[in-house]
Amino acid sequence: MSRLDGGLIDRSRTLSFTFDGRRYVGHPGDTLASALLANGVRLMGRSFKYHRPRGVLTAGSEEPSALVELRSGARREPNTKATVTELYDGLDAMSQNRWPSLKFDALGVNDFVSPLFAAGFYYKTFMWPKAFWEKLYEPAIRRAAGLGRLSMEPDPDSYDKGFLHCDLLVIGAGAAGLVAALTAARTGKRVILADEDFRLGGRLLSESHTLGDAPATDWLAGREAELSSLPNLRIMRRTTVFGAYDHGIYGAVERVGDHAPDASNGVRQTLWRITARRTIMATGATERHIPFANNDRPGIMLAGALRAYANRWAACPAGRVAIFTNNDDGHRTASDLAAKGVEIAGVIDTRADAQPLGDYPVFPGAVVTGSKGRLGLNSVEITQEGRTQTLTCGALGVSGGWNPNLQLASHHRGRPVWSEEKLAFLPGEGGPRGLVPAGAANGEGSTGGALSSGARAAQAVLADLGVDAAMPELPEAEDTPIKQSAFWYVPGTARAWVDFQNDVTVKDIALAHQENMRPVEHLKRWTTLGMATDQGKTSNVTALAIMAELTGRSIPETGTTIFRPPYTPVSLGVLGGGDTGAEFRPLRLTPTHEWAKARGAPFTEVGPWMRAQYFPRPGETHWRDSVDREVLATRAGVGICDVTTLGKVDVQGADALEFVNRLYCNGFKTLKVGMVRYGLMLREDGIAMDDGTCARLAEDHLVVTTTTSQAGPVYRHMEFARQCLWPDLDVQLISTTDAWAQLSVAGPHARRLLERVVDGVDISNDACPFMSCRELTVCGGLRARLFRISFSGELAYELAVPARYGGALMDRLVTLGEDLGATPYGTEALSVLRIEKGHAAGNELNGQTTAQMLGMGRMVSNKKDSIGAVLSRREGLCADRRTLVGLQAMDAGAKVTAGAHLLSDGAEERTEMDEGWISSACHSPHLGVGIGLGFLEDGARRMGEVITAANPLEGQSTRLRVVSPHFIDPDGGRVRD
Amino acid sequence: MTDLIPSLALGGDAPRAFDAGAIHLAENPGFGIASVALRRNCPPPTPFGVPLPGTAEFTEAEHGLALWTAQNQWMLLAPGRAEEDFAGAVKVEAPGTSVTEQTDAWAVIEIRSSDGEGPITALLEKLVDLDPATLGPGRVVRTGLAHQSVYVLRRNAAELTVLGMRSAGASLWNALETAAAQLAAVRYS
Repeated sequence: MSRLDGGLIDRSRTLSFTFDGRRYVGHPGDTLASALLANGVRLMGRSFKYHRPRGVLTAGSEEPSALVELRSGARREPNTKATVTELYDGLDAMSQNRWPSLKFDALGVNDFVSPLFAAGFYYKTFMWPKAFWEKLYEPAIRRAAGLGRLSMEPDPDSYDKGFLHCDLLVIGAGAAGLVAALTAARTGKRVILADEDFRLGGRLLSESHTLGDAPATDWLAGREAELSSLPNLRIMRRTTVFGAYDHGIYGAVERVGDHAPDASNGVRQTLWRITARRTIMATGATERHIPFANNDRPGIMLAGALRAYANRWAACPAGRVAIFTNNDDGHRTASDLAAKGVEIAGVIDTRADAQPLGDYPVFPGAVVTGSKGRLGLNSVEITQEGRTQTLTCGALGVSGGWNPNLQLASHHRGRPVWSEEKLAFLPGEGGPRGLVPAGAANGEGSTGGALSSGARAAQAVLADLGVDAAMPELPEAEDTPIKQSAFWYVPGTARAWVDFQNDVTVKDIALAHQENMRPVEHLKRWTTLGMATDQGKTSNVTALAIMAELTGRSIPETGTTIFRPPYTPVSLGVLGGGDTGAEFRPLRLTPTHEWAKARGAPFTEVGPWMRAQYFPRPGETHWRDSVDREVLATRAGVGICDVTTLGKVDVQGADALEFVNRLYCNGFKTLKVGMVRYGLMLREDGIAMDDGTCARLAEDHLVVTTTTSQAGPVYRHMEFARQCLWPDLDVQLISTTDAWAQLSVAGPHARRLLERVVDGVDISNDACPFMSCRELTVCGGLRARLFRISFSGELAYELAVPARYGGALMDRLVTLGEDLGATPYGTEALSVLRIEKGHAAGNELNGQTTAQMLGMGRMVSNKKDSIGAVLSRREGLCADRRTLVGLQAMDAGAKVTAGAHLLSDGAEERTEMDEGWISSACHSPHLGVGIGLGFLEDGARRMGEVITAANPLEGQSTRLRVVSPHFIDPDGGRVRD
Repeated sequence: MTDLIPSLALGGDAPRAFDAGAIHLAENPGFGIASVALRRNCPPPTPFGVPLPGTAEFTEAEHGLALWTAQNQWMLLAPGRAEEDFAGAVKVEAPGTSVTEQTDAWAVIEIRSSDGEGPITALLEKLVDLDPATLGPGRVVRTGLAHQSVYVLRRNAAELTVLGMRSAGASLWNALETAAAQLAAVRYS
């Protein structure tokens, strides 16, 4: 059938679109579904399991059947509902889940072997032979499962996110929502009105009622004009509030560009996080169908949807239509369609006392018992008083009553409550705090009821906020009580679909009942009912009613399911809010980043930091070439490394020294001004937390350094100690990690190099001994701090300057030190140097080790109290006999692998034989073999012993000699030179 | 005076600037910045004549501005003094307090609207989870922005200043630039 008269489409403009490659036209205001119906297309897809021909069932986001793929290439989006896809010029849609074509789908053979796919089939069938399940059945079923196809390409569209705050969030812009928003906004309160549709009005757009003495659209236009003029009200069209979260926070997706011809122009969708003091849920209701034999043919729709397509979109799938109903609302559809010139074949009403609303045939006390039409409905079989007859029609509207859309009220486990009067579940207690249902979402079935319900809800929530809102003047509206009967399905032997999207039939529910899967939760999982992307919006209550009937219990006794977000599917792209690829998270760059980048350094992520790994030189073909060179150059001459990433915390105040003395497990009371001390921090439970240095710049001024990875946690730990443990101490803290660039200058020529940049300051061994610090200037007056500390085991310093000069200082040092062999080195060489020296780092301080295990047990001072000291002495920790040792490969070419388990030489590789693990490993250019640090049972007493490192994941087994963790300069002479 | 050439927080040769619709973004590398924290029994000073503001506020005077950062803690920002030992100068102005150099700890980005308050409000909605109505002129807040911690100052109805970690400045700039560009694309497409 072609277009009907009227409707809310703009016939002055024509939009061209394709479906399965064929070109059609529609108008602004159309959805893909309405435009296809207007073009005479009823067949829009294939069902999930049985590949049955399917058309459109609904006119909204509850649609289970008319799912299509939109767009092509990387922008292809599967499982999109044609019913809410706003038509635009150039829209490209394809049917899905069929091969080779929609009209002839080879997998339609599934329909003939449907007994194999009954409820719980995957628990019962395909069980023999056993070996076939994993290799054949499961892969085949997985391949056949699903509906649309992913593009398998990165999503090229842009998404973003945002945050909104309001006094009142009104969800749904139908009769109730509009009045609620208006009532609240007139008081000056900040109101957000969100609706998933592109047009305000909700169900009013689909009805032929008048409001007052004018069409509903006139009333809507007036309200929309007023709403738009209110600066305190924000209208959000095309916005689905998909979830209710804690503290009045709602998740919403605004489809910003989906309806635009060029989706790449700006943002496609925005994820909004809305914080609302109060919320009115005016989300309307969804009509339910009545299952009967073969009730899934294209052309069989919900009666309200049929009415919506006719009234709003001026479309009807056929020229001759029948209605199957158990209530008065079905007759409205017949009446409206008849008024539009559609021939009504008849209204089949389950009620014996049914009365027509107009001039059309009525079959009271009758039911539909079958249908015909391979790719679209041709006729229905009706049974009345035991007699059957065939009614020719191209479409059938089915009306089984309405279910309030109460999902959001259930997101906090609020259980819906059954109303015998309304034959529907209504929002119950225990929903999100501050959320009030209104209109059809609260069971108000008439327009008049919805209008006044919206106003009352607004008054109530505003009163809760201390505002007295005036009752708005409401138009006279349809307010006829709907009469309906509790009729849930037509019994029969043929399959009658309950859940269209997951292909669940009345038979499946009966089978679940027979197999004792009767609780709602079991029914759901056994049959997969309600578990598709529509979350059973058109099926859950019907299924429940059928199960109730089978068990002989009432619906509330049978139970109900509650709902989880999202209300409708949300793309992962928008959930990411645009944070993808390189911008997935913030990156922290060191002051020498650009300098290192210019020298071709590859970077590694260290937490959020990007650090240079090494600095390749021409001719070096492997990273080891570069790293070995950097290590040897540092040990022979001087190496320079950016260590800015180490955390730096400025500690000031009269009690600054006392503060750090309580913080570190070792003593700090004797730390003199101008000196630095190594410190170990323990957690409250006695486990080692972090290590670093503490420099005393002045009587009341210290600088604590941390490892890179623990900079944040240690700073937080310090603030906790300052604010909560010892608020009596006069201490002030602030992070200075970013403020100062810090370069390590290490190697026998380190002092000679630094003497070339410091401004007239004596940094000789006498003036600047090991573990000293001082403030000075470099390079002609630049303020700097010099710390004589060593991580590499060489004569070494760390020089700090304001961060903006870090890159220039690095360049200056490398240039000035050319004759000294000055070599920049990265994190790889840094790691090798510290392993060779036996310094613990993050791998050793992994949250499971103690001071004792690290060989620092005696550092935990008995002369004072400090965080973690007492618990570090508890029996359980003290009994751990694993200690840090050095491990050296017996063979030059043998690989030492971090994470490998340590076993006695010759021991069987079993968990029970485990004696420790390797925490860090590298190739030592200094020794020419693989080395490592590890924790070994009685390690200190096993020096010289040969053990085995087992790496069963890679089938490796390496013999290692237990040695001192100090592979170089065990006496520490170099650092003191 | 050192002959070393300083680099900018956002890594370019010149301070970054970006225009999208009515929004103008600009890196401001010129602020000398230092933190001031009161010690025990220390009365609040008035460094450079700038009164130290109350909770979640900042004050602006001829020589710069002071923003509240925590109980008894503030940050002082002085335009054009990034190359000086500004913390040293603050120590003189605020005797008895704990002063820490912060000039290079922060990337400072100024945001200006050429179309009044609306674009600023729209941008704030895209960036931070706070009610723009609570961030009126003179207010400062420390909040999360694109997964990092920042200070947002509402200089006036049409201007914001954002302070983010210097090391993550490029990421911060990208977040601001992207949000501004997307807003402009949606508004003006």
